[in-house]
Amino acid sequence: MTAYNTITFDPSRCKSCNDCDACMTACSQIKSGTDDLLYSRIKIIAGMNGSLPELALCRQCGDPECTKSCPSTALTKNEQTGVIDWDKSLCIDCLLCTVGCTYGGITYNMTLNHVAKCDMCDGDPACVKACPSGALSYVTSAGIFNDQHDREDLFVPGLSACQGCNSEMIMRHSLRKVGPDTVLATPPGCIPGMGSVGFNGTTGTKVPVFHPLLTNTASMLAGLKKQYNRMGRNVTAMALAGDGGAGDVGFQSLSGAAERNDQILFIVVDNEGYMNTGMQASGSTSYGSWTTTTPVGSEMKGKRTNQKNLAMIMMNHNCEYVATASTAFVEDYYEKLDKALAASERGFAYLHIYSPCPTGWRFPSSQTIEVCRKGVETNFAPLWEYERGGELRFTHSIDDPLPVEAYLNLSGKYRHVSEEQLQHIQEQVNERVKTLKRFAGLN
Amino acid sequence: MASPALKTTHPGCAQSIVCDGNEAAAWAVALSRPDLVAVYPITPQSSLVEYVSQFIADGKIQAELMNVEGEHSVLSALHGAALAGGRTYTATCGPGLAFMFEPYWRTPGMRLPIVASLVTRDGITPQCVWGGQQDAMTMKETGWIQIYCETVQEVLDTTIMAYRIAEHHDVMLPVNICHDGNYLSYGVTQVDVPEQAAVDDYLGEKDVNWHVALDPLRPMAVDPLTGGAGGIGPSKFVAYRKSLCDGMQNALGVIEQAHQDWADIFGREFAPLVEEYRLDDADYALVTIGSMTGAAKDAVDSAREKGEKVGLIKIKTFRPFPIEAMTRALSKVRAVGVVDRSVHYGWNCGPLYQEVLSCLYRTGKTISARPFIGGLAGADLTEAHFAKAIQATATMWADETTIDSPIWLNEND
Repeated sequence: MTAYNTITFDPSRCKSCNDCDACMTACSQIKSGTDDLLYSRIKIIAGMNGSLPELALCRQCGDPECTKSCPSTALTKNEQTGVIDWDKSLCIDCLLCTVGCTYGGITYNMTLNHVAKCDMCDGDPACVKACPSGALSYVTSAGIFNDQHDREDLFVPGLSACQGCNSEMIMRHSLRKVGPDTVLATPPGCIPGMGSVGFNGTTGTKVPVFHPLLTNTASMLAGLKKQYNRMGRNVTAMALAGDGGAGDVGFQSLSGAAERNDQILFIVVDNEGYMNTGMQASGSTSYGSWTTTTPVGSEMKGKRTNQKNLAMIMMNHNCEYVATASTAFVEDYYEKLDKALAASERGFAYLHIYSPCPTGWRFPSSQTIEVCRKGVETNFAPLWEYERGGELRFTHSIDDPLPVEAYLNLSGKYRHVSEEQLQHIQEQVNERVKTLKRFAGLN
Repeated sequence: MASPALKTTHPGCAQSIVCDGNEAAAWAVALSRPDLVAVYPITPQSSLVEYVSQFIADGKIQAELMNVEGEHSVLSALHGAALAGGRTYTATCGPGLAFMFEPYWRTPGMRLPIVASLVTRDGITPQCVWGGQQDAMTMKETGWIQIYCETVQEVLDTTIMAYRIAEHHDVMLPVNICHDGNYLSYGVTQVDVPEQAAVDDYLGEKDVNWHVALDPLRPMAVDPLTGGAGGIGPSKFVAYRKSLCDGMQNALGVIEQAHQDWADIFGREFAPLVEEYRLDDADYALVTIGSMTGAAKDAVDSAREKGEKVGLIKIKTFRPFPIEAMTRALSKVRAVGVVDRSVHYGWNCGPLYQEVLSCLYRTGKTISARPFIGGLAGADLTEAHFAKAIQATATMWADETTIDSPIWLNEND
């Protein structure tokens, strides 16, 4: 496997708005021996109208565009270090690479009359060391692996989810973080269906696990948590629920627990329907979707109503913590899971994870993460978080989204969608982002 | 406000108070020391959960109080607490019980020893908010133990006994203590409130999740898919079902013992399963259930004074059905009139009548029987109604016939 090492950026910690340019100065000095920021290969671009700053830097992509667009093999991906190396002797200064990169990671320096890009300082980046606020960090794939490896995997190997489903990943990674002092409720659906609660006396889970009713997950966990509090024991009450059980028939129980601020970590794995029972529509099913109960025929072209946005509804319950997440952005999910776990000590914490379903949505099982990613990049499934008493905060840029077709085209469930339906979906996406922006104090 | 105390009268009795059945149930809850009480109000149960809430507010009950958004969540919260080891309580009736149904019919299968009062209420529609046993009777095949009380004192005493019964290791089943809406819920009388220490001794240490738990110290999967054609086949499902049926049958003996021990400590005796009243020399009898029994006994006494050899059989434990005790009682007479406070639509009679018919077969004798239905939607059942039932039963005995069409006692009221 090619090493994947990169520099990550947390814009909420960045002090560039206070005229901090420590990272750029450090880069200019170490690479060019000058304080002139023009020579810096890392650029922090101040946010417009109060939005957060953005980073222009080579991401050392796993599947880089720059190497593909380079006609002279001057740019190559180093299998050992993961760094994309630039060979000055081969470069013909055509600048095609600067067009190919979406991150502004390789740019033309007029003084040098060459492109310049980050080489990661042999694994010890000067910019990261210079950053006074911890906004920059150097991340290695081995480090991520080691961090997780030390935690116990609380699921047995070999669960029977459909090929390509990200639920197993969500379960393993989530439970690793949450740990063994947990009671897990998985209401009927794909999560228990894949063997986590088990069958005929066997189980796939190493923490206490339970099939609540489809309808009562939150209230059942609320009673359980109250009893453990009474006994003076710190036990995490956790749910991994589908969108139907949480947002349709189980919504009353969910809403009641949120209103009481019961100490629960409630995670919804949203595959937009009752996929476990054969792909029937739920309230979370998006407009236009084909399902077995919103079929496509001469009189009907998929779902005729808009989806219920459960995460936004939960935010309006003023829970301790509410966030959306995507398995295309796992580190973002980890951070949110940490926050949600901490919040669940105080009260109700809600996480909403998009979980595209290869079987029910009709896309190849290799494309799940790509569908997740496009959902975010088109603003169909924007990533945000909300903490009680605060404002909504986007954790992935909502500016300059891809058109929604880029997401819809990946799934067979939208194959029949007409121009009018497409326009409706795009309007829905735009409207939703507009509403979210109001909660974020942006307009 | 809880009722003021009067002087104490019985051994093991802390005080006597004047109160209604809902307050009596609340006192029983206080003495049973639950860990968690979840409540949602519904007529005619509301004052019961108000009393319990006030007792918790006053520190008289040191339990967690959950005010939840509906009966469905009420029982669900109790499931969670019981699986974590807590003793739990709630009360409901009528449409609330109907809304609770999904977790309700799951409770026995999980063998959770939850105690819930049913302040029985007639079923809608027609819309009504008054007493009747249609709600509880609709639930009779779910695997809950159902015990019907006759008096306010019996409500208090039996609600405490319910924990002894539910938590018995040979039983481990939920218990409904049923008391009639209006007549027992709001009927005021003097009752004795037992001493806390004596109740503590009577109930012993709670141990409610030794058999099934959601506890990281004892990790297990609770209620995985069981049965079906795959895996080890249907045998495991059958084993669970069969053990639930065994638990129900074990409950009969446990209920009798709980009543016997109660009588020994607190000096109050109640027939645990079936009460026989003036039956030994009777030619025929009425069969009754719940609070109607007092008026029925008065009617029997009046008829006796006129020379009628009539007796009465009152059922207290309806689920599990006390087949032997009922058969023994029925064997003593040649005709019975069965008075129900609810309807069995399938047989055009009352549910108790239908159960009595089954026991008649066990007697090996030909015994005439007739169904009576009365007291629906809070209607009063007076001595006059029972006199009419006695007369109709006597006529049927004389004719040696069984007439399955019911007599509706309040039809002309």
